[in-house]
Amino acid sequence: MLKRPSSRRHSSPQEIQINLIPMLDALVTMISFLMYTMAFLSLSMIESPLPIVSTEENEVQLKDKPLQLTLTLREQDVLVWSPFELIPQTALPNRPDGSIDILRLHERLIEIKQKFMAEKKLILVPRADTSYETIVAVLDAARSLDRTDPVLSILNEKTGVREQVKQLFPETVFGNLLGGTD
Amino acid sequence: MAPARSIRQRRVRRKIHKDFDLQLTSMMDILVIILVFLLKSYSASTNSFSSVPGLAMPASKSEQLPPDSLHLIVTPEAITFEGVRVIEFAQSAESLSSGQASYSFKTEDLDEGGMRIAHLYDALTKAREKAELLRAKSSARDEKGNPLPFDGILAIQADKRVKYDTLRKIMYTAGAARFHTFRLLATRIE
Repeated sequence: MLKRPSSRRHSSPQEIQINLIPMLDALVTMISFLMYTMAFLSLSMIESPLPIVSTEENEVQLKDKPLQLTLTLREQDVLVWSPFELIPQTALPNRPDGSIDILRLHERLIEIKQKFMAEKKLILVPRADTSYETIVAVLDAARSLDRTDPVLSILNEKTGVREQVKQLFPETVFGNLLGGTD
Repeated sequence: MAPARSIRQRRVRRKIHKDFDLQLTSMMDILVIILVFLLKSYSASTNSFSSVPGLAMPASKSEQLPPDSLHLIVTPEAITFEGVRVIEFAQSAESLSSGQASYSFKTEDLDEGGMRIAHLYDALTKAREKAELLRAKSSARDEKGNPLPFDGILAIQADKRVKYDTLRKIMYTAGAARFHTFRLLATRIE
């Protein structure tokens, strides 16, 4: 139905404009806050306790021989061994450039973990001239499990459910920290 | 003196000014994109650790974030504890010529058969005593009503070229000052 002539308007419809300025203010404030509180340096840490010197009493109290998995970083290779000879002693030769074969070491540690699923401790014995970068790389290989690694699981005795193991040997101690051989 | 404008020019200027409208929509778009990016990559920091110029940190796959604790930095020039330089490394002629840091200590800075760093031991002991005093004055108590024990945690931020011999001396000294847990800091591999 046509409108009456009196109701027809010839003026153009008014454009509705949202006031964006308060919204802009809020955005700028939020961006400033986020940039101020943001951690641009992404750090991680590897925790290591100070080794405790064992006494004779402790040795007597031990019922089962512990694994005491030890990695000795030598000039030509890495020695993987247990003082109680629970695993065969393995020497993993370094690469031709002298650096540690981290991949091979990681594989060997997974093999050991598969036999001693409950074991979490590892003793690292670096040489005096081992760099901090090498120590961190070895600790990474000894602690973390990659996605490409086989899935490891352990039976939780409380719940009776098998649970996935997420780390290899996360509790690392420096074996020669309080003295001893390099 | 400003040149006299014609009446026509003045009209033109006024007309432009009246029609001028700042386009905020595109600016809003940019800001929203920045905001989304920041929110996506945001990770709140729970510590006061920061990067140090000249310090190349090793990279680690560890996913553990370091909480705030007493902080020791080992740069090629010196050892800094809680922002105070406590030890300066000895600079040999060889290290100065090659540009490689030696990370070796001066003989007078070491004691206990060359294992303990004397000035660092003093600084660590002072920090422990201060922490213990604060805990003694604090109202927080354990089950037996005693002050909470000193946590004994030391975060070590070191250059990746630092040798284990230097680190061992630092950890030995910290152990002598009754620090029992070390947090080795590294750059996180995403």
